[in-house]
This record gives sequence, structure tokens and C-alpha cells, in this order.
Amino acid sequence: MNKSKMMDVRKIENDKRAFRTELLLAPLLVVFPFIIGIIFINDWYVRDFLEGSLDLHGELILGIIIIVGNILFDIPFIKSLRNFTALFRKSGK
Amino acid sequence: MVKNVKVTLKDTKQKIIDTRDKINSIDFDAHWYRRVFHAFGASFLLYYILPDGNWIHVLKFWVPPIIVIIAILIEIFRLKGFISSDHFFGLRMYEKNRVGSYLFFGVAALILLWRFPQQIAIPCILCACFADPVMGEIRNRFDKKSAIITGFILCMVFFMITWYKADITLVLLVGIIGAAGAVIGETKKFYWLDDDLMIQMVPAFLLLIIWFAIPQLGFSYPGDVIYPGLMPW
Repeated sequence: MNKSKMMDVRKIENDKRAFRTELLLAPLLVVFPFIIGIIFINDWYVRDFLEGSLDLHGELILGIIIIVGNILFDIPFIKSLRNFTALFRKSGK
Repeated sequence: MVKNVKVTLKDTKQKIIDTRDKINSIDFDAHWYRRVFHAFGASFLLYYILPDGNWIHVLKFWVPPIIVIIAILIEIFRLKGFISSDHFFGLRMYEKNRVGSYLFFGVAALILLWRFPQQIAIPCILCACFADPVMGEIRNRFDKKSAIITGFILCMVFFMITWYKADITLVLLVGIIGAAGAVIGETKKFYWLDDDLMIQMVPAFLLLIIWFAIPQLGFSYPGDVIYPGLMPW
């Protein structure tokens, strides 16, 4: 195998490794902000809505912003991830 | 025999070319990966809702800087060549020889969480998490002007929502100045100073001036937006 081919194979291996990193991080990137948003909304519900002890409308709004904002970016991200995974599977890599 | 070897070599070559083409389309994925990473940053707001109990207080104080120190070390190793840049998915070409944006983002968020009042820190972090990727998307699909206008409106909404407990005049003032600072911070690109840091720090310092001037302007300080949670035990 000549030097150019070796470099190509090495690059592919490195990119595959990097892609795996993305796959491994994907659940964290998608799920964690969603949990945080739920925590905010739950805190508003328990301490403001049920008890009425504090003015926590800000937490409700922030919770919604975090969830909606993340969903807006998660959908195209997951779509692109699925497309790419399918390409890898098709090529048998 | 020779024919078989030739066919195998040809197949291998074609496979390498095909895979390289597919790998090149990774830019598209990296693009969305970067966007999702930005949006993920909004999770840092968890910092404010954590209870102020003894050991949690220690965690709140030490965990964010430890994460940033680890990121700094990783970046040092990467720039010195001990870790290959190929391990960092989504890294831009120009970031291969300079500090990665994620570190700028983390450092700015740490400074905001540690040293700024939450009324300033929260909208600045939200701007970096959501306004920055939205502006990037609109710039890619339409033009720079549309990106600036959309970014300005979005940032203004974030600042006004966070200051909703303040006087309406102050809310408007903070909204306009904060959004202007965030948009300037995002659009001004420097090689050694990333927009992920600027979009957070420029409005933060502008709002800090307003924060100190609030009594002189005749307004009262707005209340907190997020209250520390109660210990469940």
C-alpha cells in the first residue's frame, strides 16, 4: 500500500472514531437538556403552582425555552445522524 | 490469481473512494452536532436551581471550574500534538491550530455563573446557546442582515424575559443594550477570541454597567429568576 492510500485509510479510521464519539455523546446531548427543562417546570409546578409560595414564573419560561430550543436543534441532528448511520451500514463500515 | 488480486484491489480502492465521499458529507452532521452542542449549554442553568446545602454548595463551587480545567488541559495536549485533532468531532479547520470554541464557551459560562448576578448570566448564556446557532443557520440560508435582525430580536426576548420583574423602562433598556451587545459579540470575529466568548461577555459587561447604575437611574433591582431548590431530605 502506498503512502497516499495509507493516509486515506488512516483518515477514514480517525473520522470513524470521531463519528463514534458523536454517537456516544448523542444521548447525553439530547436527553440531558430535556431533563433540566423538566426539572425547571417541575420546580415551578411544586413551589409556585401548588403551594403559591414563590414567584417562579421565570422558571417555567426558562424550562420551556430549554426544552423547545433543544428540540428545534435535536430533530435535524437526529435526522442527520440517522442518515449517516444508514450510509455507514450500507457501505458495510 | 493475478486477476483476482486486481479485482480485489480495484474493489478496495472503490470502497475507499466511496467511504471518503461519505466521510466528506460528515460536515453536514458536524454542523448539526455543533448546533446541538450549543443548545446543550442551556443545561448549565441547572447551577442556579441546585439547593444551597453544605455538600451541594461545595459541588456548585468546584465542579464547574474542574470541568473547565480539564477542558483546558485537553486543549493544551491537543495543541501540543499529544492528542490528535481527529479525535475532536465537529472541530472547524481554523480551530485545529488554535483553542477550540467549546473552551471559550465554557470559560465564558464559568465566569458568568461565578461572578455575575443571575439576571445578567442567564440571558447571556441563553444567547450563546440559542441565538448564536439560530443566527448561524439564518446566515447560511438567507443573508447576514436577516441573521442580525433575527438574532437581535431573539436576544432581546431572552433579556426581557429574565428581567420581567424589573420596571418596564429598565426591561426595555436592558433588552436593547443586551441584545445589541450579544449581536455585536456574535458578528465580530477574531482569530484568537471566539464569538462563543464574545456573545456572552460583551452583553454581560454592558449589563454590569447598568446593574451598578440601577440605583442612580432610580430603579430597584429585579428579583431572582431561579431560586435554589429545596433539599429533598
